[in-house]
Amino acid sequence: MSNNMTQRDAFFERLYDLAREDRDVVIVAADMSAPALDKFRTDLPGQFVNVGIAEQNAIQIASGLALTGKKAFAYAISPFITLRCLEQIRVSNAIMGIPIAIVGMGTGFSYCSDGPTHHLIEDLAVMRAFPNIRIVNVTDNTMARAMADIACNGRGATYIRLDKDPHPDLYEPDTDFEEGVAKILEGERYVVSSGPMVHVVREVIESLDADDVGLIDLHTLPINVPAFLKQIEGARGLLTVEEHFLPGGLGSAVLEVLCDHGLSMPVRRIGIDIALGYTHCYKYGGRDVIRSHYGIDSQNIAAAITTWRQKQTRAQEKEQWLVR
Amino acid sequence: MEDRRERLTSKAFALRKRMLEMCIAAGKGHVTSSLSCMEILVALYYGNILRHDPRNPQWEQRDRFILSKGQASPALYTILADLGYFDASLLERFARLNGRFAVHLQKDVPGVEITAGSLGQGFGLAAGLALGFQMNRTLQTVYCLIGDGECYEGSIWETAMFAAHNRLNNLVAIVDRNYLCVTDFTEKLVALEPLDEKWRSFGFHVVRVDGHSFDALLPVLHSLKSRPHPQPTAIIADTIKGCGVDCICYDPLWHGCAPRGEAAEECLLALEKGASHVQ
Repeated sequence: MSNNMTQRDAFFERLYDLAREDRDVVIVAADMSAPALDKFRTDLPGQFVNVGIAEQNAIQIASGLALTGKKAFAYAISPFITLRCLEQIRVSNAIMGIPIAIVGMGTGFSYCSDGPTHHLIEDLAVMRAFPNIRIVNVTDNTMARAMADIACNGRGATYIRLDKDPHPDLYEPDTDFEEGVAKILEGERYVVSSGPMVHVVREVIESLDADDVGLIDLHTLPINVPAFLKQIEGARGLLTVEEHFLPGGLGSAVLEVLCDHGLSMPVRRIGIDIALGYTHCYKYGGRDVIRSHYGIDSQNIAAAITTWRQKQTRAQEKEQWLVR
Repeated sequence: MEDRRERLTSKAFALRKRMLEMCIAAGKGHVTSSLSCMEILVALYYGNILRHDPRNPQWEQRDRFILSKGQASPALYTILADLGYFDASLLERFARLNGRFAVHLQKDVPGVEITAGSLGQGFGLAAGLALGFQMNRTLQTVYCLIGDGECYEGSIWETAMFAAHNRLNNLVAIVDRNYLCVTDFTEKLVALEPLDEKWRSFGFHVVRVDGHSFDALLPVLHSLKSRPHPQPTAIIADTIKGCGVDCICYDPLWHGCAPRGEAAEECLLALEKGASHVQ
């Protein structure tokens, strides 16, 4: 199902419903606007706080509110509510374990014309360095809505990464996302991705008519290891795809799990080569233009999947021949 | 009045001594930072200011004391032990093997509200707490002790602007103005003055007092309990880093450490002799 609603609006609409029922739900926004947020501000002014463009303070005010029993949602543009506030998040939410929701707007190159200050291609590596913080790279609107509920359960801090572009719904309305990982397409070998790239990869796999290539949405970090290992059981290989620098990102997290569990599965990673730096962040004409310069647009991913399949098939044939 | 002053003065002396002995034994602890805020803490905890219950540290209706300058943890730990929040014998293991706490403030110690050590952060939590209490329509007051050197952190001013705008008059910021940082005197380092005017311009009700005088501190703290001002209050408490132990005052080199050997003996003697600058 395709729709024009963004993850942000789906998320805040659900949060609005929750807040109407629960006075403890509070948004701490760093001067952000959105139609769904405006409705919240107008109808529930006692549950909406604007700190101005002061993200570090947003984290601290939200954390202080949480100490009085509030379910606080600190909301700003993603790089600013995470990378700018690292020290606050580290002490208040990782060390002290104060449960708040850190809600970031925009992932990858979704602010495509705004340059690298507004891009978000380092945060997974950085945020997953902290214990006690659950990171969710939201895939569709169903997941966005569910995260509003999950973040209210007070079981620790959650960083919710909302994409700016509208995406089709992949999940059924009552999907349970607690597992942290979900299989979108069955296959013999799997592409592992998360967030908006899941949609790009799914389209590529479908256009290639590649029945043997499955797709796993690893939406939550740290990886739920037993659940992830179950999903990749018997897989011939993995290809990770992310709109993020390669060091420390999703592919790295996957490699760590495989390494720590002694699984010698062939893995290829597609993401942003750190050696390319921020150069292509200044290419204009849309998100796909930047992605293509970094080799992570659908065309490049299609080519990579094709090569990967061929190599894997050849290796498989060789293996079978040797066995015979 | 005089009785109270005497009682609190001798309490502050006993706590200073216990704190100093604890840090000397451990060879660690920010002694001078703890000494500068001792009267402020004694006023809060023994001057009938903070509503709290040592038998029930998590009592919901308690006022909150947020020690944002987490390096003064030795002063607070000594007080919490004295009040019975935990067994005083734990002080003997300060910063040592099998100890419960060390140099910077730690939330899981009974009576402690936050983990601190990274400066400029406790004040934001304090403002969030104050806002939460106002939203919940409950009556707790939040007291937050900020180091003057901590006022170099930009996050302090983000919070100050927010707290004043939101009229958090259940928030009291106390600045321990001891004029010294790690390497130098503040006015040489990067001038903080006029500090009271800075806070006032951010929208706070500001009072400047002698931070070692109970006669100055207590009337101000008491008056704030009836919330006479619509905005939050900042108390700039002029103090002396190392107060009570003459031989380590006015010297940046004593920041962040505990005296050892002969210096330790000298400090204990100086404390007994009485400080030249304390009335």
